[in-house]
Amino acid sequence: MNRIQYKILSLTGIVLFIMAAIWMTLTYYSRQTQEQYNEILQRYLRMNEVTGASQQTITDLNNYLIRPTQEHLGQLEGSMERLRQAKYDVYALRNGDNDFDLTSYTNLIDSLLDAANRALMFQSQTATEDSNEAFNEATRISRSISDMTLTLLDTELKTYDRFYRGIIERSTELNRLGIWLLLTITFLLLIFAYWFALSITRPVQKLTQAAKELSRGHFDRKIEVSSNDEIAFLAKMFERMRVNINNLITEIQQKAQLEHELQQSKLLLQESRYRSLQSQIHPHFLFNTLDTLSKKAYLEGAEETSDLLASVAGLLRYSLRRMDRSVTLYEEVRVLRQYMDIQTARFADRLRFVEEIDESCLYVEIPGLTLQPIVENAVIHAVEPMEDGGTITFRVANDGDRIRVEIEDNGPGIPADKIAQILKGSAQETEGHTTGIGIGNVVQRLRLFYGQEDVIDIESGPGSGTKVVLRLPRWRRYETDDQRTDRG
Amino acid sequence: MRKTIVLLLGVIGAVLIWFTSVSAYRVFSVDWQLPQTPLQQSAEYRLVLITQELETPFWDKVAAAAREEAAKHGAMLAVWGSYNNDSDEFLKKLEIAIHSRMDGIIVQGLDTDTFKELVKYKAASYGIPVITVGSDVPDSLRRTYVGSDHFRAGRMIARQLVEDMGPEGTVILVRDSGNAHYQEQRLNGIRSVLESYPGIELRYAETQGTREQVIAAMQDLMNRSPDVQAFIAANANLTAAMVQEIGRRSRVQPYHIYSFDDSPDMLTLLRDGLIDGIIEQSPEAMGRISISLMIDWLKGEKLPLDSGGYHTEIRLRKAVDAP
Repeated sequence: MNRIQYKILSLTGIVLFIMAAIWMTLTYYSRQTQEQYNEILQRYLRMNEVTGASQQTITDLNNYLIRPTQEHLGQLEGSMERLRQAKYDVYALRNGDNDFDLTSYTNLIDSLLDAANRALMFQSQTATEDSNEAFNEATRISRSISDMTLTLLDTELKTYDRFYRGIIERSTELNRLGIWLLLTITFLLLIFAYWFALSITRPVQKLTQAAKELSRGHFDRKIEVSSNDEIAFLAKMFERMRVNINNLITEIQQKAQLEHELQQSKLLLQESRYRSLQSQIHPHFLFNTLDTLSKKAYLEGAEETSDLLASVAGLLRYSLRRMDRSVTLYEEVRVLRQYMDIQTARFADRLRFVEEIDESCLYVEIPGLTLQPIVENAVIHAVEPMEDGGTITFRVANDGDRIRVEIEDNGPGIPADKIAQILKGSAQETEGHTTGIGIGNVVQRLRLFYGQEDVIDIESGPGSGTKVVLRLPRWRRYETDDQRTDRG
Repeated sequence: MRKTIVLLLGVIGAVLIWFTSVSAYRVFSVDWQLPQTPLQQSAEYRLVLITQELETPFWDKVAAAAREEAAKHGAMLAVWGSYNNDSDEFLKKLEIAIHSRMDGIIVQGLDTDTFKELVKYKAASYGIPVITVGSDVPDSLRRTYVGSDHFRAGRMIARQLVEDMGPEGTVILVRDSGNAHYQEQRLNGIRSVLESYPGIELRYAETQGTREQVIAAMQDLMNRSPDVQAFIAANANLTAAMVQEIGRRSRVQPYHIYSFDDSPDMLTLLRDGLIDGIIEQSPEAMGRISISLMIDWLKGEKLPLDSGGYHTEIRLRKAVDAP
């Protein structure tokens, strides 16, 4: 969980490693160079040492020959020993190029030592002339040694000329390498640091963007951060929060919808109840009066009038009672017939009513007073204004998992915008309806009752009549909770 | 846009890394050790060839042949010497060679006491064999001599002279004052032939080696002997100056001029017809034979060496032969 820390540490580590590697290489390099210089210098110094030692030997020999004291002898022996040592040192410098000269050189040193010893010997034998002779020889040899030192140094320079030039070239090249190295490392570090910073800031930017979106209320955009550090974790948590909030909001919206629907159904109910209460002023008085009138008409031999009065009374009773409870299609059809009896009496030949009923479909449940307002609507618009009257066809048929109920007239039809208004439930026209219930109310109640939108449809065209189609589910989706008792 | 930038950065990075690695390779791909020329184990003998006339064509040929021969035998050979017959420097070199305890010394003979002393006592005391080459010093106890038979060379020149000039005339012998053994030998050879021709008069001119002195001596001589018919230069070094001086006074062609040694300028003179004949020596043979004799002697394969010397081939080269 410390990816960012890890990233920073690794960056630091890489930088440190590069620095350390360069430092170590350069240190190693300078040490090697120094050793090389030492070796070269050593060679020259050793050769020079021979010259110095031989000259010292001659000087000491001279001193001793002039004044043969013990002190001078000691000095002479010391310098001869030094010369011998120098000889061994210089002998180690042999290589293929100076082999010949160096052998001659060491032999010369031997000859010098011999000559010096000879001088000493003659001195001790007091043969002064021979001693001087030997001394002169030693001096000449010493001079030859000096000359040969120069020759050797010259050979040395020639042998290693390319090598020395190589060293100089290398140091120039080293400077150049330094510059290149600086440029390369700077470049690489810049690139790496940029990439590194981007790998941290880009997820942060994405997160910021996402937060902005959320704050604007866009809860439906997915937050995606494709890094593998803490920011990604943060983004994941953020995303989960977004999903949760989104779910909660959807839930709240659904609840509000339900609330709204409930409210609406309650309002409709209250409206119908209010209307029914309006027409409940003296229902019993009205029923009893109608019953009495019916009996009276019967007794007076007016049987048709008596039946008509009974139908009116039944219709009124039904309309007051069945508003807020479900009934079967059978009952609805019975009331529809009573209503049609009354209307037939009124319009006589002008109204033609055709029934095509599949009796097996009549068990289905339906809200009370659904068919009567539709048929009444048809009577009002398709029969009443027509001089020749009209035909109303009522069909109940089995249609798969639904019951198809059709009320068709051959009136002038309804305009399309009116149909849309009706289906939206916003048409409010209650005038002239027996039961005080408009078709808009019917549409609303049907939809609430079945919980489906496509339960009712109206097909109509100008002059080609109107056909209201109810497609009733055989079973209701859920039971409404208002199983009220009859208040009849 | 982004692709272009990435590509550009990649190219820059690659270029930088390339140059850095090339530079690093150059810096670090060096050998830290001093270059060691391997020692040749087979170098048994250290020999030295000492001459008075370094970098003259004749001695260059000797040295080249000697080096070749030494390399063949796996011996190391150094060529030392002095320039322009500087005998002090030459003797100093010889002494250094002795003090350096060379295994063998091949030296151009120098007929002086110091030389003889060095070879006779010093070299002998260090046990170093000495072979003279080119010119001999017979009484110096050198092991042997390798080079031309100068007496015979003198005789050849003299015979040619008689053939060209006829049995009568005046001949000037020009010699330098060094009294070198080989010069004496040449003169002896010439004399030994001309003795039998009473009609031929020999005159001697002695000069120092330098150009001005040669010219002065020639002027003097030609003033005194206007009837001279032939010149013989006993030493090749004198010839060029001699011919030049004669040429200043008169035409050169009528004179019979002879010389020894075959250096390139001598060949030019010969080609131009300015001189009539020279003695060609064999420097390569001298170098080769001297080295091989020395090595044979050091190995003990050839004991003793013929102290009379090993003579290399000589040829008379006439102007008409010149290409």
